[in-house]
Amino acid sequence: MPYVVRRPDRNLWEQSYVPETVRGLGVTLRHFFRNVFGRRDTVTLLYPEQRRPYPPRFRGLHRLTQRDDGAPRCTACLCCQTACPAECIHIVAGEYPPEHPLAHVEKYPVEFWIDELRCVSCGLCVEACPCDAIRMDTGLHPRPVEARPHLIYERNLLLSISDTAGNVHTANPRKK
Amino acid sequence: MRKLTIDGREIEVAEGTTVIAAARALGIDIPHFCWHPELSVAANCRMCLVEVEKQPKLQPSCQLEAADGMVVHTDTPKVREARRAMMEYLLLNHPVDCPICDQAGECKLQDYYMLYDLKASRLWSEEGKVRKRKRAIFGPHVIYDAERCVMCTRCVRFCAEVVRDPVLIEVHRGDHSEIAVAPGRTLDHAYSLMTAHVCPVGALTSRDFRFQCRVWFLASTPTICPGCATGCNAFLDHHRGEAFRLRPRENPALNRSWLCDDGVLAFRLHNDHRLTAPELGRGDDARPVAWDEALAEAATLLRKVPKTQRAAVLSAEHSCEENWALAAFAREALGVERFFVTGRTAGTADDLLRHADKNPNRAGVRSMLGAEPEPLERLVDEATAGSIRGAVALGAAAATQGPAAAAGLLRLEALVSIAPRRGPLPEAAHVRLPSPSFAETAGTYVNARGQAQEFPQAMSPRGEALEVPDLLARLARRLDLGLPFRSAADVRAAVAPRLPRPAAEGGAP
Repeated sequence: MPYVVRRPDRNLWEQSYVPETVRGLGVTLRHFFRNVFGRRDTVTLLYPEQRRPYPPRFRGLHRLTQRDDGAPRCTACLCCQTACPAECIHIVAGEYPPEHPLAHVEKYPVEFWIDELRCVSCGLCVEACPCDAIRMDTGLHPRPVEARPHLIYERNLLLSISDTAGNVHTANPRKK
Repeated sequence: MRKLTIDGREIEVAEGTTVIAAARALGIDIPHFCWHPELSVAANCRMCLVEVEKQPKLQPSCQLEAADGMVVHTDTPKVREARRAMMEYLLLNHPVDCPICDQAGECKLQDYYMLYDLKASRLWSEEGKVRKRKRAIFGPHVIYDAERCVMCTRCVRFCAEVVRDPVLIEVHRGDHSEIAVAPGRTLDHAYSLMTAHVCPVGALTSRDFRFQCRVWFLASTPTICPGCATGCNAFLDHHRGEAFRLRPRENPALNRSWLCDDGVLAFRLHNDHRLTAPELGRGDDARPVAWDEALAEAATLLRKVPKTQRAAVLSAEHSCEENWALAAFAREALGVERFFVTGRTAGTADDLLRHADKNPNRAGVRSMLGAEPEPLERLVDEATAGSIRGAVALGAAAATQGPAAAAGLLRLEALVSIAPRRGPLPEAAHVRLPSPSFAETAGTYVNARGQAQEFPQAMSPRGEALEVPDLLARLARRLDLGLPFRSAADVRAAVAPRLPRPAAEGGAP
């Protein structure tokens, strides 16, 4: 819809430009002198010497949790892969052989890939997991790498990452 | 005829029809585990209880015969409460191991829990549940989990009534009851995967499909089973270009609700030994090349052979469209007069579904050619004798096998093979041109009964494979020869009047 753009009405003092510029510079200088010589109230941190603590629910890099015996808690149900909106999870399921001590678990991930480049850190995989096998409580960002494939994390790497307190295990929620 | 009212809607059904079947005809789905339209009535799951006016107690609708003036309510609070209570019973000792269960996503327990129960179990402790056999191997294709079983006995009745091989039995009583294989037997009849398919829960599952893919990823396309000349109606379940299984598609006039093991596993024809790029050379000299090079080589080879010594091999494994296109190309462009037919070798048959001819379209080849094609043995004989020196062959399987047949085919000076996968014919060829699998092309099969059945394309061709009419058009251009068709629509139009008669009614896609 067309409408008339109203120009601001400026008086001579404002229209002459220079006094207003000096006034604006004054505001900047006031803040400058206050922060350099007076009371400091800047929000800037001297990263990386100073770091801001992350909130406890910060969603960092994924990790796969372990059972008490070190095996993956994951049963390869593919719920995370289903929930993932970025389609960055790829799992190949396998079956424990009958003589394996975990034969009663039946299913496990032979391969578990997360493409951290595609991940949008939404946390839906963590919510979808029925076994508490995938978490994003590591407090880590993906490391900078030199080649894209290095950010496609595989099963054993994901299993080795711990949470901020150093834990790699989770309990079976159904046994509680 | 009997006239009754279900949920306020009147319906007239034949005498002897059950209420659940009448409701199904109206599109009302009464929840059930043990009832199956093709099996006898067991009425043991008690999930289909409905309220009938003037009857004090709820009635199992699968066993209740429709009567005149009957007024049935399938969705009253009383019925819903009965269903909820039934679900609580059925789930009492259920292991709730959906994450590792292949049935998850197509499980009736899951569906009905979401529809009618939605409550936590009051028996919440793992230790309180009755533990039963897990991972029992029932046969070469089927694995059994007794804890997931709801004892509907569909599998027992299927084996006894449809296959007439009563290999499954019920053992023990009460909450310890489970399904077992009869002593000294394994579940190894030709319909064992159908036994797993009728299971409404995850108790009987396929060992072939086990942990391969979650069912909710699968896309389903209606298809015709390419496994034999019966032409059973099926669904092909696939995901990202890979096929995972065939499922029966109901057709009361043909395969009813069933499919044989070979049929369920016929999806492998799409996955295995695929030819994905054009190739030149035999044996160790084989090398993948670009389409242009392969077509140029094929044209050069075919030109060297005089018209009278050229032949075409049609394939009983391939659709009418592909066979007609090759026959038209051979007859009108190459001047071929000798037509042969290949296909998979014959196998076992039975009186339920399986046909001895393991090719889906032998009758179709006959009607596309307008004459009886000669068997492949004769091509081998004539190639050995030197009276046929060049051939264009469709299909991978050689109907004749053995060293003599292979040597005969190797005598050919020009063998151009158009095939979706590797096999004896492509291996003997000088040029191999990849074509789509049965799942990657739309077409028509004519089964042994003479019924023409169309099927749609499920996936796009793998690798560099080209549709057969397209591929032949390119080859004809290389040979500077005219073709009687230009597009797939031309081929369809030419095939339609040659088909014997329309498909059997009842195939609901």
